[in-house]
Amino acid sequence: MSNVILKARSVHKTYTMGKAEVRVLRGASLEAQAGEFLVVTGASGSGKSTLLHILGGLDIPDQGAVEFEGHDVFAQSQMARNTYRNRQVGFVFQFYHLLPELNVLENILMPKLVSHSALSWLTGRGQAKLEAMDLLDRVGLRERAGHRPNELSGGERQRVALARALINRPALLLADEPTGNLDEKKGADILDLLSEFNEAGQTIVMVTHDARVAARAHRRIELVGGAIQSKRDGSPSVADSDSQPTHALS
Amino acid sequence: MYKWFLAWRYLHTKLIALFGVASVTLCVAMVLVVLSVMGGFLDTVRSRSKGLHSQIVLDSGFLQGFPYYAEFGELVEEELPEVVKLTSPAIYSYGIFRVPATSYTKPARILGVRLDEYLQLNEMRKGLHYERYYPGTTHLGMQQMPVAGFDANGDMQLAQDLREANKKWRQDEKDVDSIANFDAEPFELSMYPKVVPTNVGSRAFALGPEEPGYIGREKHGVIVGCDLLNSRRSDGNFDRHLARGTDVAITLLPLTSRGNVTGEPPVRVPLRYADDSRTGIFEIDSMSVYVDFDFVQHKLGMDAQDLVDGGKSDARANQLLVGIHDGVDLDEAAAQIRELWAGFVETKLMDVSPTDRYPLTEVSVMTWEDMQRPLIAAVEKEKILVTFLFALISIVAIVLLGCIFFMIVEKKTRDIGIMKAIGASSRGVAGLFVAYAGAVGVTGSILGLFIGSLFVWNINDIQDFLANLNPQLRVWSPEIYSFDTIPEVVKKADAIWVAAIAVVSSIVGSLIPATLAGRVWPVQALRYE
Repeated sequence: MSNVILKARSVHKTYTMGKAEVRVLRGASLEAQAGEFLVVTGASGSGKSTLLHILGGLDIPDQGAVEFEGHDVFAQSQMARNTYRNRQVGFVFQFYHLLPELNVLENILMPKLVSHSALSWLTGRGQAKLEAMDLLDRVGLRERAGHRPNELSGGERQRVALARALINRPALLLADEPTGNLDEKKGADILDLLSEFNEAGQTIVMVTHDARVAARAHRRIELVGGAIQSKRDGSPSVADSDSQPTHALS
Repeated sequence: MYKWFLAWRYLHTKLIALFGVASVTLCVAMVLVVLSVMGGFLDTVRSRSKGLHSQIVLDSGFLQGFPYYAEFGELVEEELPEVVKLTSPAIYSYGIFRVPATSYTKPARILGVRLDEYLQLNEMRKGLHYERYYPGTTHLGMQQMPVAGFDANGDMQLAQDLREANKKWRQDEKDVDSIANFDAEPFELSMYPKVVPTNVGSRAFALGPEEPGYIGREKHGVIVGCDLLNSRRSDGNFDRHLARGTDVAITLLPLTSRGNVTGEPPVRVPLRYADDSRTGIFEIDSMSVYVDFDFVQHKLGMDAQDLVDGGKSDARANQLLVGIHDGVDLDEAAAQIRELWAGFVETKLMDVSPTDRYPLTEVSVMTWEDMQRPLIAAVEKEKILVTFLFALISIVAIVLLGCIFFMIVEKKTRDIGIMKAIGASSRGVAGLFVAYAGAVGVTGSILGLFIGSLFVWNINDIQDFLANLNPQLRVWSPEIYSFDTIPEVVKKADAIWVAAIAVVSSIVGSLIPATLAGRVWPVQALRYE
């Protein structure tokens, strides 16, 4: 039975740069199954990040639709999209994007802080901290909870970013070149972690231009010229990986 | 929750925020100091003005005075016994104050008062120097010069009545420090000339061998404004150069009832220095000389004069001072007295001489507030103006805060993108910067209130310190500002208002940058490096 969690239909996006219009996405479509590890590959400038931003509700498509669990993300109010980004989606970026004034634990708790009022935080912060420490355990940084981002290596920062993305137990993890700024060893560590979370049921959509990284996914699709490279029947191409999700969402 | 959390974190980790806090601190401190000093100045003007004369004053505004003051005084006491406690006439004129022994001369405002009544009508008693330490010994009647002698042990002693009076003060005085200060300052006794012991030689002041007492010809006493006669020390006290009872004199210029100079030579009136008075208002303390009403009325020719037709003219006074009972509404009392005066004048105008008619019709009934209104209104306007000017300067701080927040938003663009990526709304991000500005405002206000209050509480010490370094740095001149010390009271209400306005201003200053922060497009922000 199909268990599609995310569906993008014919997404178009054009940016205006000065007087020139750059058509980044030209009818890109894709589907992701719950628990799937999907990789979108493509050359630099092919629109991978733009697609990822649109899937996560950070950017708005000019045309087309994105459905999450059957609901059109962009038919919802701005407030509902904010909640979507906070509760249903976790972002991991190439450059980590941690807040430099906060320590590791505080950075991880930030999505929780966004979703709590001052009053509810008073009652819920104990539990939130426990969850954050548990995640820190899983990414192997428990001892670094009080450190600032500038005291961590690139790999450690990315692990913190991963923990932050997962603190609200989102159904969907969107990763934008998460190993792009790391050396091979550290990149592999991050991929191991992603695989580990995926095996625990986490749906992951990752964009990368690195074929070796892409090989870790269940399925790979390629973005070429702003559209998913299609097969002859017009449906999105399947990944060249044989692996398929073998588990449901936890 | 993240708004408060991040605002607080930014506040104590971002150096740039400290500039914002510093600008708010300085503005709050500055406005608080100005408000406190000017407000204190205004309050002092009010409170001192209240205790200067009496609650209600009838005054023609003419130097030659107005007649029937005594008759109206009796009438008002009879007609309004529930309202009026006491009436007392007063004369004011101008003359020359002189100390014959030193040829020291000063222009003086002569006030003729009935001292016993006058002291019941206002707070003058509090400012009398000798009356404080020797209660009951200051009067404006005939008196000699008190001199100190020596007892069998060789200790200096005053006359019996002065000793008793001082003993009474010691018994009644609750402030122990005050007694200690009195004993520590030998100048008090030194103000009384001494009977020199016979075995030393000269006995210029001696009444008898080593006996304290009084010497010299009897003359009317005079109370002199403390700034007219004495030198002000930097600690606010005075150095007294003349002994109590020293011969002084005033020269008067009598006027006819029509206000002309009588044609007689100016009248020189010898007096004895009985005490000095300190109201705390420089204009008064540097000019005023208090003399017995009946005595000065006679000397100025304002008493009842024999007329060529065998009759008598009506005695004149410049003011009729009216004291009212406690709890009586001042304005209501003034209205009642005004009405009574209107009726009284109506009956008198028929038989009054034409020369007296005009001053009589010009008499107005004023409360102490009415009398001091020009001064109070001027100070009020000055307070508003100065506060406004400093508030205007504070607008610069708001603009500065706006610039600081523009820079912060610019610097935090990537963080804004991150916050939006994890679900923060545009309004929430804008709110974060507003909360940040609020935190800057609150911190700056608290620091500003602390520094400002500390400054105001110690403002006189600070001025003394600066004046010790360089006399040119003494900015508070009693000659200009009336009072000998700078007011040093911070009102809670002022502090709360200043702090509240500072916080609101900080928030206002951040609104535009905060709005722009809210509008930051997250995708662009995340690409921002």
